[in-house]
Amino acid sequence: MTELVSLKGIVKHFPGVLANDNVDFTLRRGEIHALLGENGAGKTTLMNILYGLYRPDSGEIYIEGRRIEISSPRDAIKLGVGMVHQNFKLIPSHTILENIILGLKEVGFIINYKKISEEIRKLAESYGWRINPNAYVWQLTAGEKQQVELLKLLYRDARILILDEPTSVLTLQECRILFQALKRMAREGKGIIFITHKLDEVFAISDRVTVMRKGRVVITKETSKTDMSELAQYMVGRPVLFSIQKERTQPSGEAIIIKNLKAFNDKGVLALKGVDLVVKKNEIVGVIGVTGNGQQELVEVIAGLRKAAEGSILIDGINIANSSPDRIIELGVAYIPPEPLKYSIAPNLTIVDNLFMKAYRYKPYSNGILINWKKIYKKADELIKNFQIISPSLSTKAKSLSGGNLQRLILARELSGLIGDKIPKLIVAAYPTKGLDIGATEFVHKTLIEYSRKGSGILFISEDIEEALMISDRVAVMHDGRIVGIFKPGEVDMEKIGLMMAGVQVVPAI
Amino acid sequence: MAKTSRIPYNIKIQKRLYYSRKLSILTTFSAIIIAFGVAGLFFTIIGLNPLEVYSYIGGVFASPTLLLESFKRAIPIGLAALGLSIAFKMNFWNIGAEGQMYMGMLASTGIVLLHVYYGLIPDYLVLSLMILAAFLTGGLWCCLPAFLKAKMKVNEILTTLMMNYVAMYLVDFLIYGPWRDPKGYGFPLSVPFPEYSKLTVMFGEFAYGGLLLLCLTAVIVFIILRYTKLGFELKIVGENIEIARNAGINLSKVVTVGGFIAGGIAGIGGLTIVSGIIGRLRPRASPGYGYTAIIVVLLSALNPWLIIPVSIFFGGLFVAGDILQATLRIPGAAVEMYQALIFLFIVIGEFMKRYKITITRGVVE
Amino acid sequence: MSIQWVEQVLQLTVQMGTVYLLASLGEIYAERSGVLNLGLEGMMIMGAATSFIFSIAYGHLPAIFIAAVVGALMGFILSILAVDMKLNQVIVGLALTLLGIGLSGFFTFPEIRKNILLKLNPSLPEEMLLTQQAEKLPEIPIPLFSNIPILGKMLFSHNVLVYFSLIFSILMWFILFKTRIGLTIRSVGENPSMADSLGVNVYMVRRATTIISGAFASLAGAYFFIGFHPFWREGVTAGRGFIALALVILATWSPLRAILGAYLFGGVETFQYRLQLFGLGAQSPYFLAMLPYIMTIITLIIISTESIKKKIGAPASLGIPYSREE
Repeated sequence: MTELVSLKGIVKHFPGVLANDNVDFTLRRGEIHALLGENGAGKTTLMNILYGLYRPDSGEIYIEGRRIEISSPRDAIKLGVGMVHQNFKLIPSHTILENIILGLKEVGFIINYKKISEEIRKLAESYGWRINPNAYVWQLTAGEKQQVELLKLLYRDARILILDEPTSVLTLQECRILFQALKRMAREGKGIIFITHKLDEVFAISDRVTVMRKGRVVITKETSKTDMSELAQYMVGRPVLFSIQKERTQPSGEAIIIKNLKAFNDKGVLALKGVDLVVKKNEIVGVIGVTGNGQQELVEVIAGLRKAAEGSILIDGINIANSSPDRIIELGVAYIPPEPLKYSIAPNLTIVDNLFMKAYRYKPYSNGILINWKKIYKKADELIKNFQIISPSLSTKAKSLSGGNLQRLILARELSGLIGDKIPKLIVAAYPTKGLDIGATEFVHKTLIEYSRKGSGILFISEDIEEALMISDRVAVMHDGRIVGIFKPGEVDMEKIGLMMAGVQVVPAI
Repeated sequence: MAKTSRIPYNIKIQKRLYYSRKLSILTTFSAIIIAFGVAGLFFTIIGLNPLEVYSYIGGVFASPTLLLESFKRAIPIGLAALGLSIAFKMNFWNIGAEGQMYMGMLASTGIVLLHVYYGLIPDYLVLSLMILAAFLTGGLWCCLPAFLKAKMKVNEILTTLMMNYVAMYLVDFLIYGPWRDPKGYGFPLSVPFPEYSKLTVMFGEFAYGGLLLLCLTAVIVFIILRYTKLGFELKIVGENIEIARNAGINLSKVVTVGGFIAGGIAGIGGLTIVSGIIGRLRPRASPGYGYTAIIVVLLSALNPWLIIPVSIFFGGLFVAGDILQATLRIPGAAVEMYQALIFLFIVIGEFMKRYKITITRGVVE
Repeated sequence: MSIQWVEQVLQLTVQMGTVYLLASLGEIYAERSGVLNLGLEGMMIMGAATSFIFSIAYGHLPAIFIAAVVGALMGFILSILAVDMKLNQVIVGLALTLLGIGLSGFFTFPEIRKNILLKLNPSLPEEMLLTQQAEKLPEIPIPLFSNIPILGKMLFSHNVLVYFSLIFSILMWFILFKTRIGLTIRSVGENPSMADSLGVNVYMVRRATTIISGAFASLAGAYFFIGFHPFWREGVTAGRGFIALALVILATWSPLRAILGAYLFGGVETFQYRLQLFGLGAQSPYFLAMLPYIMTIITLIIISTESIKKKIGAPASLGIPYSREE
């Protein structure tokens, strides 16, 4: 019996979405199985079912040939199934050791820190990792945190390891270490499921690959018997390298000039180490890079939400570094923050409240003391139409809107010229298409391009290289708090971009 | 089969997406009734006849004189609650209405003393200056914890609580010390307030003038929350601080100004105690109106209109407490306990509103 | 300033501080697991009231035991409201505090005390039925150690609850940081959903710590009354439960540091009484009475400064009810 896991006919509905449509999947002992697909293809849902986070509507789960029910991660762990999520589930204020042994009855009542610490150190060393089990998790890099997550599973003798996009937060070097360790684990007879949307990784590590699209399995194949372009076709279901019809407008004048910008992150570490960047009017500048290299801090400093330690940000000759957010808004900077529900949309407030969350204080909607709700409602009606926001009424709570509608709501608020009746001078869009379906993504792309044509300068942060290449006039690569290269799409090949993202200087920064 | 008697009960708790107004009113009234029941049980245990107690409480609302008395008590409670409704709207857990009321009493008494002892203020200005002083002092007393929260994230629950004790002892200090009436036979009392410094100057009866003041304040609070820039900002800050920051709202300013208004209104509530109900300052002049106000405002779901009738109900309870103490020799604590029970069951009612509990019997697949 | 004076002040400091120490020990456990017990003051005053009545009726030890049970019961009620019903912890805590203060107020009335006492113990003599005070818990000096100058009075000449509080501080520190149970409690307060996925019963842990915090708060009240100041008046604990809440933050949620913090607050209060004896505030004692509360506010401000806050974090999910998703 070489089959560790066998999923048969898994179906899972979410309200309005068929996330898994009659999916079959097998994992063999000792293999690394890549699960490939675009965002929203149903990969994570399928794995969450195997990990007991979701119950399937129908379908059967077999582990080592035995039919089983998994109703919680607890059950899954008992069966030897472990999962490393994209967002690490670790307690930062605890030590590595404490994170690893939590919930293990075997460690006894009084914890023998010395003995367990030695065990963990040995276990880690057997995979080529050097860690101090008594270090606190908040002190670790993303790569080390991931090692702790894996150790947590290995210490529990998990035989089936699921990794959800494990490389998205890693540097190239850290990726290499991870891949070596994974291969070693596979040699020991464990089964590894590797969720990814990056083609190169499939070939770098997997023995077999399963491609999912729109909730269905398209194909399962030995990795050695396929190639990149075939997999890409399966993945998107149409010829790759589609491009948007984009009439390039000649950039004119600077929308923003950033000079030698430095800033600290929440932990007090220097996260921006001297950023120089110019965005012209009519221009889209895409910023790509491995997540956590200062992108978040950069947009926050521009929006006035984070203090700049040094350097300047000029808009129309005015230095806005360390200005208050409202001052920056008044100067014509629109900001589309990441994670709408955390930073931008108040779910319990109505659509109108959310639409006018910034404009409420300006004329003609307010006279400085009172708010003119009549004018607000009238304008809101207009915006709803223009931005195609689908909702029963203006007084509906924002939490009842879908992701795409929420993003449209933000676009309407930020771009429609509510403040000063003009289009924004600069649009800072941080991961604006993350988690959106294709239709909504296209709407965002089109809207941004439309505004760049109208004259806005756009700073577009993305973790999707292809997306950035597609809609940007210029692309900047960010690494370790600096811009390490700027080029026009088509000028530089993917390999060089990858090197730049890993911190290797290839093209002199313009 | 023998096993049929062991069919299990299944309790299922589901979140309700929506609940009707009817359900809301129903749970509120059931909470009040259950609180009566539990209190009655306690009365029985300690050897009192609950029915007798209840008839006294009910009697308060049936007698015109006592009802008028309830109106009077409702005024400071209602004002403090209106202040709290602003604080709670921005998610500022002000437990300090009691202290803010004491500061209001202190400030208005200070004005009276300036007038009586030093003749600094003309008669006709005294009352208006008292109102102003009470508002400012109560406002500052709330402004400080609000500012500390906005700037340094100091836990406002604890600071406002501590400031209650500080204010209370400050009043004690003054009234046992420098402010004691020299002609008061050594009792810890201030000089009696002159007539023109009392709220009875309006309509000759404090209850009427006070009620008018309460209603006017409710209108103002309603307008602030619904139709002003500040009200909109309070709402967003209360919803989520990160989002408010993103929207360019000046957090410290909103929280400090909101705190100031909230405390100021409570301060005026304090003024109504000394210049309306008692007519002079004495220690422990508030029997916990500021804490009752918290119950009132949560029961009214921050709705300024509802605060008025709910305050009258709780004012009536205080009157009933006094009567019980005088006639049945039941401590005033009975009222406090009863209030706390209503509070507790209202909160539990909140759970019943949010969740639907179904109990079925049978084997579940 | 004689050595006796110093000894007396230090002894009083520890005795006063023990009120805060006992209350904060339980609260540390509750908050470490993510439950804010704002009912502390109510539980404390109920502990004082219970020990008042039961020490008259049955003597000291039963009174202490029953006080702890009453506190545990209030903790249990809080756990149902805050943990199981997932209600706002500030509101339910406040409701329990008001309830405790209200209930304890009944014991101010001699007739009611008489009724209850007669039911508990019909053979009590008449003067015991109406007394406002209880017999103080006897001090048990530890032989040899209590003769050490200064330290002897400070640490080894106390009643049993003071010793108990010190032993439990150490024991509870050990459990919290060196055992599996402690790790479980701390993890539940930091990331309940993760603890849940690793097989920890989050609700059970939180219920248990809430009940413990109730028992300790009530013990603190009982100690305050029969061990320190056995004269009943309404609202006898006067907000000391709230001060203990601030102390928990000052102690950065560690039972060992709570000892220092508790004695610091105890010292301030002792100092205040001493100053009164010196004639300061003779005109009106209430001026100095503000001192502990002002001190608490200042403490709260100091520990909220950026630089200190970075080093000590509150449990990440403190005050947030846990409900398992789908």
